[in-house]
Amino acid sequence: MLAVIGLIFRFGPLLFGFGFMAPLAAQILERAQWTLPFGLTPLLAGLSIGGLLGAVAQIRGRWI
Amino acid sequence: MTAPVSLKSLSEIELMKLEREIARQHIDQFPYFAVAWAFANLAVWLALWPLVFMGILPLWAGFLIASFNVAACYLPSHEAQHDIIARPGTKLRWLNQAVGHLSTIPLVLPYRVARLTHLEHHTHANDPALDPDHSTQANGPLHAIWTSIQNRQPGAKGGLASYAETLKRIGRPDVLLDAAIYNLVFYGILFGLAWSGFALEAALLWWLPRHIGMTYIQYYLSWAPHHPATDKGRYRDTRSFRALFGNIGSMGMQYHIVHHLHPRIPLYRTPMAYWQMRPILEARGCRIDTL
Repeated sequence: MLAVIGLIFRFGPLLFGFGFMAPLAAQILERAQWTLPFGLTPLLAGLSIGGLLGAVAQIRGRWI
Repeated sequence: MTAPVSLKSLSEIELMKLEREIARQHIDQFPYFAVAWAFANLAVWLALWPLVFMGILPLWAGFLIASFNVAACYLPSHEAQHDIIARPGTKLRWLNQAVGHLSTIPLVLPYRVARLTHLEHHTHANDPALDPDHSTQANGPLHAIWTSIQNRQPGAKGGLASYAETLKRIGRPDVLLDAAIYNLVFYGILFGLAWSGFALEAALLWWLPRHIGMTYIQYYLSWAPHHPATDKGRYRDTRSFRALFGNIGSMGMQYHIVHHLHPRIPLYRTPMAYWQMRPILEARGCRIDTL
């Protein structure tokens, strides 16, 4: 149990990127009604943004 | 204002006796306002969710109110941490514990974590190795805000990470489970809301207000009253100060020195106790120049 919790927190930034930043970015893009490049849907763009930010935070150990 | 000559000529024991006599007038006064504040603040924050989801309240207004709620939620718990509402074994002890546990829900701060680490802060204030709040030390106001944000980064050693170290050091690693559960539930709710189409609501009613509230709390409760956080000892580890937004805007922290000297004085009584004690504090060489 504790090992699972530890694992979750070790990958916290990456999980937060996909779990929260991705849908947040997608919903912001959707509300802004921006035309996205390469025919990306807001969800795919959100996953790219959230995943990238999460991966960078995971490696750097900081968001900002 | 300088301390009367008669006070400066008093011995340590005589000064302590005077100080305790003043403190005694304020201790054991029931903090009605803090109790009402705890439940009202939580109720307002909880009400924001249906109000915003049903379109009764605009999200921007919900965000402003939620930020206020989170910033304001810590102090009632702080009263409970010091058993100010009711001491162990008394009739209203359940109320003390209820306030302690419930008021910091918006902050996602478990009561046992807050209480144990806060008591360590009182015991070791300004000690770089032992004070769990020492990581808020900063050169000035903007640096304090930046430090608070940096302490919340995933790889940070300060902030909540130093709370974890403190709990291990004092032999209470079991309490870390409270923090783990709180965080799992918090992020679980955020993720669930976000993937259900309510990411903006989750961000602006909880996630961002929590960051703003935590920064505000750390600024006024940790950084400002201890700055520059270099002196140690009962009469030097904290100070009185004049806050830009006054005593209410600083959440009562202008008179924080009284709280460190006599932690069981309720927050609302600290200004009165301060002005009564001020000549004694001056005779003691306390840092009270600006107020």
